[in-house]
Parts: sequence; C-alpha cells; structure tokens
Amino acid sequence: MLHGAASPDNKNGGIKVNFSIFFSMLVNGLSMGMIYAMIAMGLILLIRAVGVLNFAQGDLLMVGAYIACVLIMDLSLPFYIAVPLSLVLYALLGLVFMLATYWPLRKASYPVAPIIATMGASLVLSEGTMILFGSWPRIISPVLKNAQGKALTVNLFGTRLQVQFLLIIVVAIVAMALIYLLFEKSYIGIMMQAAAQDKPTAELIGISTLMTTAATYMLVVVLVSIGGYMVAPVYTVTTSLSSLNLRAFAGTVIGGFGSIKGAIIGCLLVGVVESFATIRFSSYKDAIVFLILIVFLIFRPQGLIIDKVADKA
Amino acid sequence: MIKIKELHAYYDLIEALKGIDMVVEKGKITCLIGSNGAGKSTLMNSISGVIAHKGSIMVDGQTEIAKKNSRQIARMGIIQVPEGRHVFPGLSVEENLQTGTIVWHGYFGRKSYEAELEMVYELFPRLKERRRQLAWSMSGGEQQMLAIGRALMARPKVLLLDEPSMGLSPLLVGEMFEKIVEINKSGMTILLNEQNARLAMKISDFTYVIEQGRIKMSGISAQMQNNPQIAEAYLGKQAAAQA
Repeated sequence: MLHGAASPDNKNGGIKVNFSIFFSMLVNGLSMGMIYAMIAMGLILLIRAVGVLNFAQGDLLMVGAYIACVLIMDLSLPFYIAVPLSLVLYALLGLVFMLATYWPLRKASYPVAPIIATMGASLVLSEGTMILFGSWPRIISPVLKNAQGKALTVNLFGTRLQVQFLLIIVVAIVAMALIYLLFEKSYIGIMMQAAAQDKPTAELIGISTLMTTAATYMLVVVLVSIGGYMVAPVYTVTTSLSSLNLRAFAGTVIGGFGSIKGAIIGCLLVGVVESFATIRFSSYKDAIVFLILIVFLIFRPQGLIIDKVADKA
Repeated sequence: MIKIKELHAYYDLIEALKGIDMVVEKGKITCLIGSNGAGKSTLMNSISGVIAHKGSIMVDGQTEIAKKNSRQIARMGIIQVPEGRHVFPGLSVEENLQTGTIVWHGYFGRKSYEAELEMVYELFPRLKERRRQLAWSMSGGEQQMLAIGRALMARPKVLLLDEPSMGLSPLLVGEMFEKIVEINKSGMTILLNEQNARLAMKISDFTYVIEQGRIKMSGISAQMQNNPQIAEAYLGKQAAAQA
C-alpha cells in the first residue's frame, strides 16, 4: 500500500532496478521523509520552547488524519471548507494538548513530569481513537483525483508517479518554510524565541509565556496534523499512523537534535533508505533504518549538523 | 513616583524584607546600597512583582501595584534590568531590543519602533555596530548595554537597574555609570541597586542604606557620602579617616 507505485516483486529475492523504479523509489522515499521531517521539526520546536520531548507527536499526526477523514469522507464537506476547518481544529487540538500535558505540570518538582505526560497523552489519543473509530483502517480519497475518482498519476521521466507523493513534498516544504519564517522573521516569532530561551526574563519584560507557549504548541500540532492529512491517502487512516513517530525520532537523532536543518536532512535520509530497502528486504526495512541509527549513535552521536547555539530557534 | 510602605518579602519561611518604607522621586536617581544579602535585590524584585511580598507600593500616588504580576507592572512602564543582564542568548542584538517593545506594541501590532531603536543606538553606538550579532557572543559590558537598551525600548517611566556593574572591568563600570547619568538627564526616574557604594552615591540624588532587610539610613547622597558611619561600613577605612 505504502509504495504502491512500484511494489517490489520479492518472489525471486529482489528485482532488477531500472531507472524508472529507482526514480519512483526516490520520490516515495523523499515524500515519506518529508512527513518525518514535519514531525521532527515540531519535535525540535517543542524541545526548544518548553524542553519537552513529545512522545505523542505521532498520535497527534494520526488524530489529524482522522479529523480530515471525518470532515472529508463522513461529512463530505467540500475541500474549501474542510481544509480551513481542519486547520482550526488542529490548532484547537494543539491548545488542548498544551493545557493538558504541559501547563499544569510546568512547575512540577519532578522536571520530567511533562514528558511522562506526553507518553500518557499518546496512549489516550491512540486508544481513544480506537474506541471512537474501531481498529479497521479507513480510506481517505487523495487530494487530486482522476476522472474515475482514483488517485491521479503523472508521467515524469518515463515513470508513473502518484501525484499525492509529489503533493506531500510540496505541501511539506511550504508548511515548514512558513513556520520557519514565522519563527525567524515575524514579531511574534521573536517573542516566542525569547520566551523559549529565558522564561523568567521574558515575563519580566512583559512577554506572556502562556501566550507564546500556546502559540508554539498550536503551530506544532497544525504542522504534524497537516502531515497526517497528507500521508493518509497513501497509507490509509489507521491508529498505526502514530508509529511514523519512531522514524522521525531516528531521523532527528541522525541529523542532530540541536538543528532543524540537520533533522530534516536526517529524516529525508531515513525516508529514502527505507524506500530503497523495500526493494530487497521489504520486511526488514525498519531494521535497516534503526541499524543506521545505531551506527550513528556509536560513531556520531551529536548528529550530522550541530548548531553553535542550541537554543537558537 | 513610587512610594513604598511597610514592605515585607519572603523566601518560603525566611523574611527577607522586614518593613521597608522608601520613596523613589520622579526624575531622580535613587540608589540602594548595602552588603550582600541585605535585601537590595529582593526589594527590586518586589517592586517588579517577581517575588511574593506584602505591603503597599503606590505609583504616582494613585495606583497600587503590590498585587500586580510582573507583566502588568512592566506594562505600567516600570521596567527592571535584571541582575546578571539576562539578554536572550540566541537572538541578535536587534531582536533583543525588539523584545523590549512588547509592552506597548502587542503581539500582532504594526507600530514602528524605529525611533526607540535610533535612540538606543545613539546612546550605545556599540550596539549598532553589532546589531546582527547573537547576544551570547558579546562581552559582559556589551550585554549590559543591551540589557539596558532593551529596557529603554519599553518606553519606561521608571528604570530599575539591578547591579549594572556586576562582572564589569573598572573602566567599563565608569563608562556604564556615565550612560546611566545620561539616561537620567533625559528625565528618566531611576532606582539603582549597586555594590559599588562610592560610585552609586556619587551619581545618585538619594541614597538608602539597607541592612538585614531594613532601611538603616537614608538621605541626600551628597551628605551621605560624608557620613562617617557609612564611610566606615561601605567605603573602607581610608575613606572613613578622610571623612
């Protein structure tokens, strides 16, 4: 399902790799890598803003996919209503998530408490979704369809590709670029960075850390939920979408926790390696990804890219 | 400008301030001197609303701020330059200055702060040279300039300077104090907490001596400088002999 465009034939222990297969594997890998990168960017923004490693990141992505599924499939809302409405719901989800897992625990005497809370939230989100929607995977139609209502495909360099994969790459780049610009260039982004770096001083000079923290959480959840909505048509909507989190973690460790740029590169690497691994070892692709992770942890634990100041958002 | 009555402050069960009465006059420099742990910084932090306190702090004879939090107090124009500078390390000089404007700008505001920026750069030309540099990479003196500059961006009515000379070389301390006088000459009310008692009394109009959470003495700085008791306790034996 995941790599439907060029499903490998494993009967003879592998297939011949021609350019067409190579290219479609590359596009699939990059698009999955982009999904991981969105998770990873959100992960790093939260670590910088509040020092919390969010274990519920994948579950938020999964809930994002379900929200889109309900709006588009169950309520059959038109696209131009469903998209803004889902963005609003994603932001609300982020706000509720922040108020539930971080705000009451931010001054807890046990500083790991908010991190443990995200683990709890991860369970609540996945089990809650299971109760509401059952364990059967659901289908969501891709954003772009052909005349028969099937996934639109294009021919690129003699290779037939699902447009959804290309769309994932474009949407992910746009979403990540917008969030990057918001943090780096806008007035409120500067305030959010200041609050991330030194909360008592931020409060002292008049910045509301409740406001900046809420804004950060909302942006992060919107980002990963968009990832969920984009990946759902090629993956089906199921609670196991949350496992994408693990590969995003792997990509972040490979790229370096201190740098968003590094994490994005690491995640793209994971996506591409995973995609090519399916050619020969379809069932062991995760093993290969985590093997690379272990190699990195042994030989370059600081990651590919290190930022000079870790707290520069 | 600020009138403090019967101010008590606590760290858990320890009473750090035991009933302070003092006045910060408009347009003047008022300084706090006293030994380490006397309660000077606690007093500053009580005014800016950072720590728990009891008593009355009146601003302009009409607004009680003792119950307000630090953000509300900052929005009233009472801006503290925290001890140890506390600039935002990962932001550039200009971005740090930008954060100072939040009290009157608002998160989604579009007001221009060019005039404030120009004023700060004129006072500290060094900051203009380094406007794109990240704050962590600057020297202690430059960071102190930045911390004061950031406070000035807030269009303050009262500036609370908490140990601006901390960790600076003697030469830089002199320079910093000249700037403080310059800021005061433009009409700014300043409350200065300073270890360097001699310098503090030299530039200030009023001096309060704090000891063990109480005001021990107070008066016009020029007279206090010649007070033999102060000379002996805070300026050293030699000065005491001269006085």
